[in-house]
Amino acid sequence: MKTIAVIFGGRSTEHDVSIVTAIASIIKPLEVRGGYNIEPVYIAKDGAWYWDKKLKNIATFQSGEIEDFMRKAPRVQLSIDDGLTLIKSSQFAGRKQYQKIDIVFPAMHGTHGEDGELMGLLEMANVPYIGCGVAASAIAMDKVLAKQVTTSAGIASTPWVWFNAVDLERDLQGTLAKIETLKYPLFVKPAHLGSSIGITKVDAKEQLMNALEVATHYDDRVIVEQAVNNLVEVTLPILGNDDPTPAMLEQPLLKSEDFFDFETKYMQGGKKGGKKGGSSKHGSQGYSQIPADLPKDLYDDAVQTGLAVYHATGCAGIARVDMLIDSKTKKVMFNEINPMPGGLYSHNWNKAGISNVDLVEKLVQLAEERWKKSQKITTAFSTSYLKQF
Amino acid sequence: MQVVVDSLLTNYTRSGSGKTVVVLHGWGDNIAGIAPFLKELSAKYDVVAMDVPGFGGTQAPATSWGLDDYAHFLQSFLTKLNIKPYVIIGHSNGGAIAIRALAHGLKTNKLVLLASAGVRGDNKRSVAVSKVITKVGKVLAKPLPKKTQRRLRSSVYSTLGSDMLVAEHMQETFKRIVADDVREDARTISQPTLLIYGQNDTSTPIQIGMTLQAAIATSKLEIIPDVGHMLPTDATDTITKMIMEFVG
Repeated sequence: MKTIAVIFGGRSTEHDVSIVTAIASIIKPLEVRGGYNIEPVYIAKDGAWYWDKKLKNIATFQSGEIEDFMRKAPRVQLSIDDGLTLIKSSQFAGRKQYQKIDIVFPAMHGTHGEDGELMGLLEMANVPYIGCGVAASAIAMDKVLAKQVTTSAGIASTPWVWFNAVDLERDLQGTLAKIETLKYPLFVKPAHLGSSIGITKVDAKEQLMNALEVATHYDDRVIVEQAVNNLVEVTLPILGNDDPTPAMLEQPLLKSEDFFDFETKYMQGGKKGGKKGGSSKHGSQGYSQIPADLPKDLYDDAVQTGLAVYHATGCAGIARVDMLIDSKTKKVMFNEINPMPGGLYSHNWNKAGISNVDLVEKLVQLAEERWKKSQKITTAFSTSYLKQF
Repeated sequence: MQVVVDSLLTNYTRSGSGKTVVVLHGWGDNIAGIAPFLKELSAKYDVVAMDVPGFGGTQAPATSWGLDDYAHFLQSFLTKLNIKPYVIIGHSNGGAIAIRALAHGLKTNKLVLLASAGVRGDNKRSVAVSKVITKVGKVLAKPLPKKTQRRLRSSVYSTLGSDMLVAEHMQETFKRIVADDVREDARTISQPTLLIYGQNDTSTPIQIGMTLQAAIATSKLEIIPDVGHMLPTDATDTITKMIMEFVG
């Protein structure tokens, strides 16, 4: 029986969202499928790692029992010597407990997990893992890099500028002048955070400084984007490695003045928006229309754009591409890419005919397939370099 | 919406149009907790509500704060957003913050205090009894598992009617706040003030309202029958009507 470690939590503003993704959308379906030994690995907000079957239970986190658990539980050590092994004190006669891991399912959202850092560790351990690799994760979680990569691949975006927080201190006027090349309203975003945290919509110049302060409170890099007129926002979950498969194009149903902020997504169950007559879906991400109510050519164009973004950024396993459409000009623009969608966006996959169990099983297969392929790539060979030195 | 005030990421909402009304929620509450009340007000006014530091979406202060700190923060928040309130509405601890802020020079035309806290020490005997109960309980519970200790502690404080554990991360701030009395501040208030208290309120009984009414020369006190402490949620329509009549 193969052992899958599901890693979640982490030093991220999306720590709690990660717990729900891991337990509800990954561990439970894997248990229903059966045939795997599942080891939950929790990274606390202070970065400490814990490994215990008890961590599979959401009540452990909801009841506050996790605080007691962390006070008593031994910290986990990792061995990355040709594979990943979890090690902890068994609290019995000083003996240590070892668990070799066959596959890792990272369920991390945001910084120090979804952004390639964890993937780097897993690459070093040479263990198969679900989802995007180091580079794709890093690109996806840096909104500036993602725009640069997709722009160079010929994929359209709304006009945007970027700068480092230090630029604001050193050359405020220059930085503001750069921003003023865009037309209001604008969206000011921290470059590295997900779930719309720290994003401010700016309607006029007098609101700009406050928005910049909020963004630089969260991040040392900021992107400012011009709002899209006649906006239709869509998102496309995608699954696969070399031959990715799109799920259904999904249209969050928002009022024009709203945007998908953290509360809308996760705290309020998506109470904003709503549309009469649509086959809206109250999924884990709130009300949305699946499939998006768009003319066929525009729908197909958005799907192709999503797939192009997935390819250009080098995604594998799973990701979700957010796009903005100007419904008058029918222009589809790349917005953001999310390498570990909250809850795996399983509500959308369910609509596309893939159950939660099928989804996690497929992801495990894709991880193994990618790992096997990577083993064929030559990474070291003998040379006479040292003798010649 | 968010704004950085005195280095704290601060969550606030603003909706409606008309006279500017600034609303401060109570201890352990947040904007979402009083959303229906805010919605009713925004039908007639420009309503600004802030998650007070340590609650809702606003960062907690790095050190323990007292009422002075909260009052200063309120002033900074309003200055930052260039908000000139016509009326400030404070519920419970939000009322105590508003009273301190006005005493420190915050400008507003009118003040509404909903089940306002801030009058301390009139029930010294019950405070002393509570202290003895919690201290003895702490000693007796020591051999029990931490989880059980926490549950017992929570139920003892809840039975005593204390908000000490409502926000565990803010306990030191809570201790400072409940030790701070605003009666002297209230005496300096010259704005027309509407005090509303619930007849069945045990957290801030109507005696507190009477004390504040006596301290604020320009105030009037309304008592709502059959309602407790949570006026914004349990008497939304009644208090909104009273406020609209008062504010105009």
